[in-house]
Amino acid sequence: MKFRNLATAALCAIGVAFGPSLAAAQDAGGTFVYIVQPEPPSLASYLSTSGPIGLVAPKIYDGLFDYDNDLNIVPALAEGYEVSDDGKTVTFTLRQGVTWHDGAPFTSADVQFTVMDVLKQVHPRGPNSFREVTSIDTPDDHTAVFNLANPAPYMLRALSGYESPIVPKHLLEGQDLRSADLVNNPVGTGAYKFVEWKKGQYIRLDKNENYWKPGLPHLDRIVGRFIPDASTRTAAMENGEVLYGAYGAIPNIDAVRLREMDGFSVTTDGYSMINPMALIEFNTTIAPFDNPAMRKAISLVVDRDFLIENIWFGYGKPATAALSSNFDATGLYAAGMPNYPASGDVEAAIAVLDDAGIMPDADGVRGSFTLDLIPYGEDWRRAGEYLKQALMPLGLEVELRYEDVPTWIKRIYGDYDFQMNINYFYQLSDPVLGVHRHYGTDQIRPGTAFVNSSRYSNPEIDALLAAGAVEPDADKRSEIYAEIQSILAEDLPVANVFEMEFLTVYNDKLKDHATSALGAYGPFDRVWIEQ
Amino acid sequence: MRYVVKRLLQAIPIVLAIIILNFLLLQLAEGDAVDVLAGEAGSATPEYMAELRAKFGLDQPLPVQLAVYLKNVVFLDLGYSFRHEMPVSELIFDRLLATVLLMVATITLAVGFGVFLGLVAAMGLNTWRDTAISIFALITYATPLFWVGLMLIVVFSLNLGWFPTSGMENFAMFYEGWDRVKDIAHHLVLPTITLALFYLALYTRLMRASMLEQAGQDYVTTARAKGVTENRIMFVHVLRNALLPVVTMAGVQVGALIGGSVIVESVFAWPGLGMLAFEALFSRDLNLLLGIFFLSALLVVAVNLVVDIVYSSLDPRIEVD
Repeated sequence: MKFRNLATAALCAIGVAFGPSLAAAQDAGGTFVYIVQPEPPSLASYLSTSGPIGLVAPKIYDGLFDYDNDLNIVPALAEGYEVSDDGKTVTFTLRQGVTWHDGAPFTSADVQFTVMDVLKQVHPRGPNSFREVTSIDTPDDHTAVFNLANPAPYMLRALSGYESPIVPKHLLEGQDLRSADLVNNPVGTGAYKFVEWKKGQYIRLDKNENYWKPGLPHLDRIVGRFIPDASTRTAAMENGEVLYGAYGAIPNIDAVRLREMDGFSVTTDGYSMINPMALIEFNTTIAPFDNPAMRKAISLVVDRDFLIENIWFGYGKPATAALSSNFDATGLYAAGMPNYPASGDVEAAIAVLDDAGIMPDADGVRGSFTLDLIPYGEDWRRAGEYLKQALMPLGLEVELRYEDVPTWIKRIYGDYDFQMNINYFYQLSDPVLGVHRHYGTDQIRPGTAFVNSSRYSNPEIDALLAAGAVEPDADKRSEIYAEIQSILAEDLPVANVFEMEFLTVYNDKLKDHATSALGAYGPFDRVWIEQ
Repeated sequence: MRYVVKRLLQAIPIVLAIIILNFLLLQLAEGDAVDVLAGEAGSATPEYMAELRAKFGLDQPLPVQLAVYLKNVVFLDLGYSFRHEMPVSELIFDRLLATVLLMVATITLAVGFGVFLGLVAAMGLNTWRDTAISIFALITYATPLFWVGLMLIVVFSLNLGWFPTSGMENFAMFYEGWDRVKDIAHHLVLPTITLALFYLALYTRLMRASMLEQAGQDYVTTARAKGVTENRIMFVHVLRNALLPVVTMAGVQVGALIGGSVIVESVFAWPGLGMLAFEALFSRDLNLLLGIFFLSALLVVAVNLVVDIVYSSLDPRIEVD
């Protein structure tokens, strides 16, 4: 039995203990206006993990945990937890005296309902995060016992207010989860209460006077503004009309300019649980990428440094394996994998093609195919143009295709009518949550977006992925993932290009906005504005 | 009155045809609302997507979907936007005010100022004033809207600090009462100027040409022979006749403006119908898109009717019956 009372640790770690002395220096009140872009489709974070929802909903809904910038667990609605020796029972001690924004008390029944009836049923990633949870017992109002079929170490990293928001049972039970009033009128336990959503303009949240963290939040109100045009967003930031823009709301080209100006700062903190990875998906079932040599040649020839430096203004790190180097913190990342040269290796790529017998014809052409581009902005188009050029020396002719979002999703994940696709995925806080979906045979799910579009199927990998998901021992788990990464570095159904670094641009008046590993998807409970 | 009723009755089959045509056209787009929702969500199970399709009615055959939609429209029910989880009519109504505000301000400024400039140019034909006005009109007409908008922001918001960069209200303050009206008016200035500059050029050129054409007509010679003063000829006889094409043009453009200017709304984050339609298209929110098209069709019909009535008061020779 290992029992960890997180409350004590957290009191020291996050500054509630020395809070009172600091509080004198923190200005209370004020309205914090920040950019939410694009406008979210709803505020139901338990139904959709759409990015803009994450910018708003975690301020309203708490999770069982939050995570600090070093990815340590910070207690939120759960004060402490206990994992049984066999790893199959996780007991959460819930905070007492917490109320929903409508005044009803928060109890273990809410946790049970949220996980079993909501997240496991309708959340896009919930069925995966909680797949081992068979039932939840609630011996009393502030204890929730998760019974697992197998150990699920990754589950403890999926309990933030963004990834697994705890929702009120009394407002959802017996209703259609997708059309309940809660979808657009969220009621949570978080630092801010939902007040108003003016479509096309803003979402307004006011201070929760009964928030369970004493003395917080400092602000009276936060307002998420929707500004469609990127240049206008930058102008609004410069003019002080908005104080904060994350997830590339301010394009890199403007961010590097604002960085040099007085009163503004740029940070790449607050994305470590998101772990975005730019990558190329290959259709491994049709020519030419059914041949692993072709996939290897592409991974070899891409000058990752060039892309980062010239298209993303230096923000990013070359990918070196199937896993992001951010997983080094949890011991899962394997360094030194082959076929991931940082600045491209044309000779090696040509050698790979020659060895595989893929020879140029009379015109020097070894193959021609179409590259699909993720329709999420100009940067990706430029990356496509770069790739087209970079593949020329290999005798590979590339045609670029740029479509709108629904058409593109249908093509890649519905019809599999593509050869090569440039994209980015969130690897999230554990490979089970964010990486397995690329490679598992069970993740070939026609019509489901952002899963195994390569239709890569390798029984060896399947077995290793299954083992990695349930292995409670950290060292053994590292070994399993090292093997996975070395197989994938040769097979390359997906060639990772670079670990993206999203930018948050903020006005220096804004303080304490980066206290959670979730950054802009965090609760914003300690943010304050210097008057 | 009988005329109005007759025109309205005529409009019904036209509007119905527009709805059906729009409905069929929109089916040509690849992917549906469920694809987009699933895409944004990160991952979704096929069961979840099938469930969504069933809920949205997207699993029904096309003719059934169309019939259901038509039936609802007849009862003035524009349907439900599954993306926004809100009735379409509510969504549209929310944005209508902002659109109408921008539209009325723009048309007033563009027509008013355009007629004035056209008049000045025509009266000083081939003088420096005429040349200057013509060049001005040409430049504003040829300059891309988004560029004008951004330049106005750079000059008047960032450098001079006179106007806010974007939005319809100050969201840090949430003014109420008269302060709110003033705040909205303050926010309205730059988008109106941007959009009006473009249309202004059109009215200026049209007015100038129309004035010159009328000035050469026989009735002007007759008036002059009768000894009517030049000012009276200009302002009472010529101006009134010259306005007819301008009114026609304004009528056509009010219809186009209801769809809003996506560019201006996007640059200034103005919460109008244009952006709503634009986003609805990219999220395949067909109910919402059809609703906006339906409203635009109604508005075009209504505005055309109003224009015809204005005609008859400007020029009593045109009779409505």
